[in-house]
Amino acid sequence: MVIANRLSRLQDTLSQEKYFRFIFLAPALVIVVLLTIYPIISIVYTSLHQYHYIQGTENYVGFKNFIRLVNDKFFLISIRNTFEFAVLSTFSELLAGLGLALLFKDRFFGRKYLLPIVIMPMLLSTMVVCATWRILYDYNYGLINYIIRTLGLGEVGWLINKSIVMESIVLIEIWQWAPLSFLILLAGLQSIPDELYEAARIDGAAGIRILWHITLPLLKSQVLLVVLLRSIDTFKLFDKVYALTGGGPGNATETISYYIYREGFTYFNLGRASAASVIMLLIVVAISAIYISFTLRGQTS
Amino acid sequence: MKIWIKLMVVLSMITGLAIFTGAGVESLAQGEGIKLLIAGRDGTYGKAMQLAVDAYLEENPRADIELLKLPYAGLSEKVVIDLKEATGAYDVMMMDDTWVAGFAAAGWIANLTEMYMERELSLDPDIVGAAVDCARYPYLRGIAPIYGLPHVGNVELFVYRKDLFDKYGLPSPPKTWDEVLNAAKVIDENELDVHGVVFRGRKGNPINAGFLPIFWSFGAEVLDEKGNPTVNSPEAVAALKFFLDLAEYAPEGVEIYDASDVRDGLLSGSAAIATEVWPAWVPDLDNPEKSQVVGKIEVTVHPGQVTRSAPMIGIWHLAIPEASTRKDAAFDFLLFVTSERIQKMMALEVGLPPTKASLYVDPEVVAKYRWYPDQLKALRASKVRPRLPEWIEIDPKMGFYLNLALVGDRTPEEALNELNAEIADILGK
Repeated sequence: MVIANRLSRLQDTLSQEKYFRFIFLAPALVIVVLLTIYPIISIVYTSLHQYHYIQGTENYVGFKNFIRLVNDKFFLISIRNTFEFAVLSTFSELLAGLGLALLFKDRFFGRKYLLPIVIMPMLLSTMVVCATWRILYDYNYGLINYIIRTLGLGEVGWLINKSIVMESIVLIEIWQWAPLSFLILLAGLQSIPDELYEAARIDGAAGIRILWHITLPLLKSQVLLVVLLRSIDTFKLFDKVYALTGGGPGNATETISYYIYREGFTYFNLGRASAASVIMLLIVVAISAIYISFTLRGQTS
Repeated sequence: MKIWIKLMVVLSMITGLAIFTGAGVESLAQGEGIKLLIAGRDGTYGKAMQLAVDAYLEENPRADIELLKLPYAGLSEKVVIDLKEATGAYDVMMMDDTWVAGFAAAGWIANLTEMYMERELSLDPDIVGAAVDCARYPYLRGIAPIYGLPHVGNVELFVYRKDLFDKYGLPSPPKTWDEVLNAAKVIDENELDVHGVVFRGRKGNPINAGFLPIFWSFGAEVLDEKGNPTVNSPEAVAALKFFLDLAEYAPEGVEIYDASDVRDGLLSGSAAIATEVWPAWVPDLDNPEKSQVVGKIEVTVHPGQVTRSAPMIGIWHLAIPEASTRKDAAFDFLLFVTSERIQKMMALEVGLPPTKASLYVDPEVVAKYRWYPDQLKALRASKVRPRLPEWIEIDPKMGFYLNLALVGDRTPEEALNELNAEIADILGK
């Protein structure tokens, strides 16, 4: 009797809408927690320990890993390299994409054939891109140095010379991903009504002034989107470094991701690698917070 | 009523998911016939293993064998993770002799001596003793159990252009590293298209393997008798300074050079000396289709300096992960690869140095590789790298700091001091 009553009361409670939402969300929530929250907790835990992967021993060391990281010249260099790469790539891609978008804004002969070709680099697998560019950049046998040599100039150590190796990788990055910013900005450009341009021309405004005072302000949200997407992506840079230089020469191209890979998978120093991951997470959260405040501010204004 | 239907839907979703993954796992465990997944190396090692696999499939057509060909760093990373997590994904793996201590100490690989005893078989006595010893843990020569079966008789050699040495009246073969440096200088300055020396400068195992024999020749050791690291001893610093002096006569980009770059440098005739050459790289030295320097290259052991030369041994073994569920088939395969027929085939067709001593003096093999009898002597007189379980962590770190010194990011003293501190840290000193 009592049980039947309890069951029917449970039935009534559970049949309310809001509980159903949770029940149906539950499987998805479980997966999200397992794939994001759990690893984060696990990494934070590991970062507070010194972990000997092969022997399987582990001992609590508090913040020792973090303190050593902050004093580690290599880690600091990797942070600097990462920011250098992210800033250089993002803004170069933005400019290149903007240039391309302005070119493709209006119809011209062959536009519909040229556009897919321009987008193609973005569709290629990064490893394929790296393999090809590596051959192009080869000091002795690469096409680029061959052309330079034929012109009578000295060869360039694209991936060997510390002072330009980062820029060599940035070049590949731009080649591969400028098409993305191009597409986003093109969509933005095409949403600007022609009447605005006609009105400006009637008022006597010329090219650059139109660009600066009309086009760019109206593109603001697309520009922010490109900057957001590309800076997050370039901040994580690992694949090109792995395929082209292995962080070298020296550690001129070592990024934070590559540092974590080296510590974690080559030296099996999981404690230190986890601590570096935590620091990287904090940096990304900080950058995201800045972005979110930018976009929110943009929306209210 | 409605609430029960909704609950049943959710429950069946969850159960369905569980059954789906459970069923998947079960059908994987049911194999038919022989099935092996081999984690191997790329390059010449990969080609040789492919030959062995093809030959095995000829005799066992229903077998299902998959061979992975991985670069050194890729292999070590994959294999360590697989062994640590005991996934049993690999049944046979190639194992560098410096990994034996770590893997055996952790109990990750099968004790092959036991497997021999269980099957009432005994180890082929023709296999070079020094190669077998590399697979022992603890490193008690001739006694301790083995955890790998050596199939590549790698010993580090020194290679130089005899014709150029004779042309400039240089001592041939050079007896000390100073003579090597002088020869590199003379040839580099006088021959337009020839670099004095070529070596592997890439960070990690490559540069470390190239540097250690020089390091030892100068009287330095990685550890002292008490097991404390001594890589920053005065002898070590002298060795590294010498190495940097030698690097002056190496080609541009040597700091990312790996095996194929050294081999190409030798075969194309653009390098006069290669200080670290593994036999598997240079089968084509006298092959007119690939080599521009047929008959001009002399293969020997590298010189001494303060102490006499001790060629570094670097055997590749085949090991069986403890977590593998197909150990019988794996053991069979191991015996197959180290059999005379297969070892001879691998030597003749791709130049993989065998581990069976008799093959080094086999007329057919020596006809193709005239330096094999000397190579056997080198194997028997060789020196091993420290038998530490932590070597797999120390090796890449040492290679990292050596490379920093090579590119000029650190002075030799700085690089070795920092390295010494890191090694002490790894060893828990």
